[in-house]
Amino acid sequence: MLRTLFAGALLLCASVVSAAEKPTLVLYNWSEYLPKKVLRQFTKETGIPVRYSTYDSNEVMYAKIKTVKGVGYDLIVPSTYYVDRMRREGLLQKIDRSKLSNFGNLNPRLLNQSYDPNNDYSIPYLWGTTGIGYNADKVAPGQLKRWADLWDPAYRNKLLLLNDMREVFSIGLRTLGYSINTTDENQIRAAYEKLVELMPNVRVFDSESPKTKFLANEVVAGMLWNGEVYQGSLENPKLQYSYPEEGATLWIDSLVISAGAQNVDAAHQFIDFVLRPEIAKQINEEVGYSSPNLPAIQLLPEKMRNNRALYPTDADLSKADFQADVGDALTIYDRYWQRLKAGR
Amino acid sequence: MKTREPFKWVAVGTIWTWLALFALLPNAMVLVASVLERGQDQFFAFAFTLASYRRLLDPLYLSVLLDSLYLAALTTVLCLLIGYPFAYLLAQAPARRRALLLLLVIIPFWTSSLVRTYAMVILLKTNGLINQMLLGLGWISEPLELLYTTPAVIAGMCYALLPFMILPLYAALEKLDRRLIEAAHDLGAGRVTIFRRVIIPLTLPGIIAGAMLTFLPALGMFYVADLLGGAKTMLVGNLIRDQFLAARDWPFGSAASAMLTGLMALLMWAYYQSSRRANRGALP
Repeated sequence: MLRTLFAGALLLCASVVSAAEKPTLVLYNWSEYLPKKVLRQFTKETGIPVRYSTYDSNEVMYAKIKTVKGVGYDLIVPSTYYVDRMRREGLLQKIDRSKLSNFGNLNPRLLNQSYDPNNDYSIPYLWGTTGIGYNADKVAPGQLKRWADLWDPAYRNKLLLLNDMREVFSIGLRTLGYSINTTDENQIRAAYEKLVELMPNVRVFDSESPKTKFLANEVVAGMLWNGEVYQGSLENPKLQYSYPEEGATLWIDSLVISAGAQNVDAAHQFIDFVLRPEIAKQINEEVGYSSPNLPAIQLLPEKMRNNRALYPTDADLSKADFQADVGDALTIYDRYWQRLKAGR
Repeated sequence: MKTREPFKWVAVGTIWTWLALFALLPNAMVLVASVLERGQDQFFAFAFTLASYRRLLDPLYLSVLLDSLYLAALTTVLCLLIGYPFAYLLAQAPARRRALLLLLVIIPFWTSSLVRTYAMVILLKTNGLINQMLLGLGWISEPLELLYTTPAVIAGMCYALLPFMILPLYAALEKLDRRLIEAAHDLGAGRVTIFRRVIIPLTLPGIIAGAMLTFLPALGMFYVADLLGGAKTMLVGNLIRDQFLAARDWPFGSAASAMLTGLMALLMWAYYQSSRRANRGALP
């Protein structure tokens, strides 16, 4: 409790603290999402030093940026609907396309999404899916084709779920045939009741490093991000991925420039640098997940390019959806989430 | 005397400024936030309401609170049962060895309790040290499921908080006047009677202090339940964090925080009252 109180106090006080004067690019990114050598190369080429800090959830990033109105941060990497939210709340500034010579490298299918119709504010950095991960030593391939298969009593106390409210409710809603972005309380309650039946199968909720629970044999299957599966499979090739028939969840993490950015030029330079095929390739190779950069994919080793976890077929994604902002319904989700965890 | 005046002002002033800035101000902000309305695009809407406090009366949140209290109480009792004999033996040890033993109790404090909790994960996991040892000895044929269970959470809490129990108990036991025990013995009291009627009453202030120092932090240590219990439980700490981050309901998170702070203040007051009584009782 004290930690939470203190963090809250810090958040509130942080707006008083002004940003550093030096022309240093401040990049705020997901943890383990950018190789250090890419930063070093950028500084070497441009002479612009980069201060790099990380977060492990959109929520933490949003709370911080919102409180300081983005002052002190230049580049941020929010996912899908957070771009929409932050854009609407005036936390982002428009990106000057004329400064991005490499914009044409981006896969057109990942552009012009509803969360930012003209990509005025966001440039895709990496994308991925949430599907089912399993250990092929313990689960025969083909046994987990649907989200609904996770309810099989054979998996009692053997599953991992991401410790993320919206992601967990998505699988409840999907097995019932509802939209993952519903704001209807009846549907959310039905999903909660469905998830209650799944709880005996759940051994652990984790989204900090879910792959390690698979590698340590604590769990045999569960919901997982495709990049985690790829990274884990480098250590244990038996860690595999399937795209559930009801539909996987799609997300795109995008580079955005904060409204309070003090190094707007440097931020553009960095975006253009990351859009270079060789750099995008380096990032993709190191981090896993999927690159939105078409020429970069061609540079990848064949094993990665043909990895279905990273580069799915059209059929794999036929029913996939993006998460969208659910507005005030978030508190309804939260109430049932608390109930699910409190076991009543 | 005069030369010490400025020093006094600086020292007292620093402490007061510190407390005002980092204790009073944040708590006041939490209190204010707790009576505001949840905002759609802002964290708060500046309108007064007690809705957040009314929501706390929901049986759901009551059960979250009871679960947290239960876990904290269980941890305290176990720490007392382990800590009391430990502190007793510590107080009996020869003076030279005592310093070393005390140092060993304190050393874990040099590492963050979060890091120590991760160390517990390494011990308890399926292919962890304990399972490997038991498998190696041939005592078990399949690894035990130790991690992500309730006993794992309780063990983790006790491990993290045991020193907080031992130190005040040790302080009380060390002061224990051995002549009183001898006198009780001479007057015909048995070992159990001496312990029950002489030693326990004399060390009661230490017991109460240890219990408070264990119970209060235990209420807030939700990360132990997350890391060792698999995040399957909802404790007050989780609830508050979720309100600030996932649900973006800062007023409700603040109300839950204020409620917890109030509860702790109440316990501190009860402690103050009972320790005054215990101290008075200890005097002849």
